[in-house]
Amino acid sequence: MSKWKNKTFYKWLPMIVWIFALILLWEIGASIVAVTKRTPENVLPHIYQLIQSVLSLKPVSSGKTAIVLVLTSASKTLLRAALGFAIGTLLGFLLALIMKISKIAEKVIFPYLMLVQMIPILGMAPIILSITGNINVSRVVIAAILTFYPVATNTLAGFNAVEREKYELMHSFAAKKSSIYTKVLIPFSVPYLFTGLKISAPMAITASILVDTLQGDGGLGTMLSQSLKHAMSIYVFWQIVFFSALVGILSTYLMGALEKVISPQKRTRKKVIGKGMESNEKKEKKLISQNT
Amino acid sequence: MRKKKKSLFRRIHEHEMVQRIETVLLPVLFGMVLVILWQTQVLHAILHTDTFTLPLPGRILTIMSENSDKILENTKATVIVAVVGLVAGSLIGYGIAILAALFTRWGAGGLSIVAAFNAIPIVALAPVMTNWTKDISNDANIRSMVAKILVVMIVCIANMSINAFRGMTELKVYAEDLMLSYAAPKRIVLCKLRIPNSIPYVFTALKVAVPASVIGALVSEYFAEYVIGVGRQIRENIVLAQYSSAWAYIVTACLIGIVMYGILMMAQSILLKKSN
Repeated sequence: MSKWKNKTFYKWLPMIVWIFALILLWEIGASIVAVTKRTPENVLPHIYQLIQSVLSLKPVSSGKTAIVLVLTSASKTLLRAALGFAIGTLLGFLLALIMKISKIAEKVIFPYLMLVQMIPILGMAPIILSITGNINVSRVVIAAILTFYPVATNTLAGFNAVEREKYELMHSFAAKKSSIYTKVLIPFSVPYLFTGLKISAPMAITASILVDTLQGDGGLGTMLSQSLKHAMSIYVFWQIVFFSALVGILSTYLMGALEKVISPQKRTRKKVIGKGMESNEKKEKKLISQNT
Repeated sequence: MRKKKKSLFRRIHEHEMVQRIETVLLPVLFGMVLVILWQTQVLHAILHTDTFTLPLPGRILTIMSENSDKILENTKATVIVAVVGLVAGSLIGYGIAILAALFTRWGAGGLSIVAAFNAIPIVALAPVMTNWTKDISNDANIRSMVAKILVVMIVCIANMSINAFRGMTELKVYAEDLMLSYAAPKRIVLCKLRIPNSIPYVFTALKVAVPASVIGALVSEYFAEYVIGVGRQIRENIVLAQYSSAWAYIVTACLIGIVMYGILMMAQSILLKKSN
């Protein structure tokens, strides 16, 4: 038991030290800024000031405290981001499937996938707005477009990475084409799908916040730009910055956790601690011993 | 007779040359169909929109040629930000990866922090960078240029360091043991084994970083102090409801991304062929 504790401690130690180093760097910067600048809270506030502003009960705008304001507008923004993310994932996966089934579809669509990624998202907003006639719908659509690209390309890469032996095995069973897809291709592509999801989850959030700045009907982006214009306390801005950074990071971790639950590869690995797992651990140990 | 014809069709279809022509021809045909649908306003009917919000391609092209000076000036600003940020960020990211590969124990932990930076939305970064660079220069143009470059840099650093680190540590089986058996010092292992092994991973990173740097540049322009750049022009024109000018800049933005990606692909085909 104590050995196990020791191991996890050593695993996390470098990360904890790095986080402390970052906080220290921030605080040194904040102290310098506090002396040299006229309005230090605009440039680099102390961390305790930030925490104070989170805990303070002073209303910032329309009778809400800063943190309540941030959280209520965040719930609006994140809900749209999540909806768009879900739709984009579904469409991206379906498109990858179509491209795998038909070689011609792949040849036609693939170069345009690249193009879609190059179109600036905010440029799409008013066009989509005029088509849907609703700003909320257009937010969802934009988040979906952004999610769609990494999911589609990564899933397709997953389909194409299936080894020849796997096909041969299925052919020797005289398996139907549909069962090759459901039994081999789709399960195999799950880790690749999640690679795409890990990339696109923060992007969907970014898109949603960005569209918020277009129109002022609540949401994180609206609050962000208002706070930057000093319509309310600048700490609202800092809270939103930290909050969106945190949510962005958490969204990636959430996808990682989901992968562990869903992915067939990771599930079986947990049940049967096979050779792969052991050798990985050995490799890590070796690396550590080399460097100490 | 009929059977023979079919097999001929099959043979043609599976011929290498035909395959190669198909890869080019099919997307081009698809694009032409799209443009025709667009120009004849069928696309507008499908999307329930009008030529005001979605101008015809011909009109966009006329606007682009009429305002070519202004578009070129804004393109230059955006390209400088994207390229300088991309190069600087990738170099720094590669440096971090080398350090992390040399000191794995501390490096891997540090890299997971860097990876976390990757998940921070650009929208949150851009205004912070604008705030931090307020005192760098009295010229608002240079000031906001530095802020924008910093945003692009951060995006590229995270991406490159993670990928390059993988390239330096996911080595071929026994390659490291072989080096150990030669009693090779760390420096040699790095130069002869880790760095060459990381090159394909560098290109993987760049394939993500090139579009990301363009988008990073466009988005950070929205928050910059000085009004310049393709991204900012899209927004300004939309606010003024000049959709056709906005579309001209959208097309320009797409072109920037495509050209940069094309250059990367060419560089990859030249460099990787050599190493093979």
